[in-house]
Amino acid sequence: MNSAFYLAIRSLWWHRSRSLAVIFSLAIIIWLPATLRIALNQFRSEISARALSTPIVIGAPGSRIDLVMHSLYFRSQPATTVTMAEHALAAESVGVTAVPLHMRFTTRSQPGAEGAPIVGTTPEYFTFRRLTPQSGELPALLGECVLGADYAERSGLGTGDTVLSAPRNALNLAGDYPLRMLITGVLARNHSPDDDAVFTDLRTAWVIEGIGHGHQNVDRQTDPSLLLSNDRDDAASVTAGLGVLPYLEITDENRDSFHFHGNASEFPLTAVLAVPFTERDRIKLLGRFSGSRQLQCISPPQVIEELLSIVFRIEQFVLLFTLAAAGAALLLLALVLNLSLKLRAAEMQTMFRLGCSRLTILRLQSADVLLLLTSAAGIAVAGGLLARSTAAALLQQLLL
Amino acid sequence: MIAIRDLRFAWTDGPFQLQIPRLEIARGEAAVLAGPSGCGKTTLLNLICGILSPAAGLVEVAGTDLGRLSDADRRLFRLRNIGLVFQDFQLIDYLDVLGNVLLPCRIQPAVKLTPAIHERGLDLLNQVGLANFSQRPVTRLSQGERQRVALCRALLLNPLLLLADEPTGNLDPENSRRMVELLLQESRRSGATLIMVTHDHSLLPMFDRTLPFLQYLARTDGTEAGASA
Repeated sequence: MNSAFYLAIRSLWWHRSRSLAVIFSLAIIIWLPATLRIALNQFRSEISARALSTPIVIGAPGSRIDLVMHSLYFRSQPATTVTMAEHALAAESVGVTAVPLHMRFTTRSQPGAEGAPIVGTTPEYFTFRRLTPQSGELPALLGECVLGADYAERSGLGTGDTVLSAPRNALNLAGDYPLRMLITGVLARNHSPDDDAVFTDLRTAWVIEGIGHGHQNVDRQTDPSLLLSNDRDDAASVTAGLGVLPYLEITDENRDSFHFHGNASEFPLTAVLAVPFTERDRIKLLGRFSGSRQLQCISPPQVIEELLSIVFRIEQFVLLFTLAAAGAALLLLALVLNLSLKLRAAEMQTMFRLGCSRLTILRLQSADVLLLLTSAAGIAVAGGLLARSTAAALLQQLLL
Repeated sequence: MIAIRDLRFAWTDGPFQLQIPRLEIARGEAAVLAGPSGCGKTTLLNLICGILSPAAGLVEVAGTDLGRLSDADRRLFRLRNIGLVFQDFQLIDYLDVLGNVLLPCRIQPAVKLTPAIHERGLDLLNQVGLANFSQRPVTRLSQGERQRVALCRALLLNPLLLLADEPTGNLDPENSRRMVELLLQESRRSGATLIMVTHDHSLLPMFDRTLPFLQYLARTDGTEAGASA
């Protein structure tokens, strides 16, 4: 068989353009459905695992899928919010841990690193998701945050650096200002959407939203360069200049000046994760909120199952089209191989006349096809391995 | 070396018929089969080397009755004992010069490519003046160089019999003469019997013997093709 492979390799190399075309066509035929299937399976298992680990989500009425996508995967924004009062209602239920979530902002995009969602929550979230810092520590003070492992990697930020929030509307001067947050740590990779998020405490999230704020001391004494106009005698009446920071930063010096206006029970949350201790607690909690018109209380595994049934139908369509394309490509490939055999007929005839055995002729042709197939399969497997890590994430981005 | 008795062969779809009551060619003899193109000379070569089987009669090469061999054994016998040179040389484009010479050792599991055979391939190339061309693609050879590569391939396994099927068919007179000289020289050097097919009568005096090929032809309607030629 060595000679057959030797001759086949020399022949394929001699006709390398044709061989490469056949190999890559075959590779695509193998790679496409296989990778799609692997990616979908991975996507399905990842999305299901996250949903299964999150028994109940409480949020404002609206799309159930949007609420799950928001609270589990930090995607999409609910049209309306709930308040701390609803969180308190869930939290006071016996046998339930209620974890508040506020996710309405992202970090500012940098070249090569898109902004990540800023999740305002409480320390219970880290316990619930089993998130531990890989370096540094969890945020403890107002204005501090911890980064998910993937975001830290792609943004190049780490413990001790700062990260800016992105305003939702740059033209709204009275609205949210970017907040510069101190990074106190980077979380260990969790292979979940947590890896691509920035976590801070609820109060910091409210500061970003403009509910809480501090005051930058702009007067003649602190830094006259910040003043655009200070010609009036009234020390309290100054006009701030361009040197006034266009963002907020909570430092040791100004931390005490930060405060919140309004009733704390009305501060907004985008969702509440509820973790009942037992099945009985879960049923009781669902029953407690089932009649509410202001809230919806949903079970993520059920919602995800509905979503996956839609994905499954899409998968069937995609596979059907892929199979049809593969069928057409295989027919073309058969034509190419047939033409190739015809082109090599004279060569085979020469070998036959010299005394080549029938088996060798068969081996020569088989070695050709085998080399083409194994090369294509090798490329398809390599492509599959490369795509495996990214395809599921890409699918999540596309489908969620 | 070759003994043929009462050989009969006919194509099923034509009037062509070959009848050879008796033909013997001695070891080391250089014989030529002459006749116009398409008259059946190649068919006779194919019968002698076992590519075709006769309808009746005996074809014996080096004491072996080819009719008694199985198809697989006939192929192996041909590879080991008969060197073939084709009209257009039929070199394999994707192999280099040495690869083409060594080809007979890559097409039969029973014939292994040993270091000794590899050495012989290089030696043959050296003998025909192609020692420096061993790694060169055959597509970059001149017609004369291709002839010599084809001859080296035919001689690789020290054949007892060398069959050359119109190797001068596409050559000008000067190159034709050189090719025949080379065939005669190499067959004599190796002690092989040579049978060459040609339609070029000017080459006949170079051979020991011209076979009376037209006498072997008959038509199915009973008329002797040779008689009318």
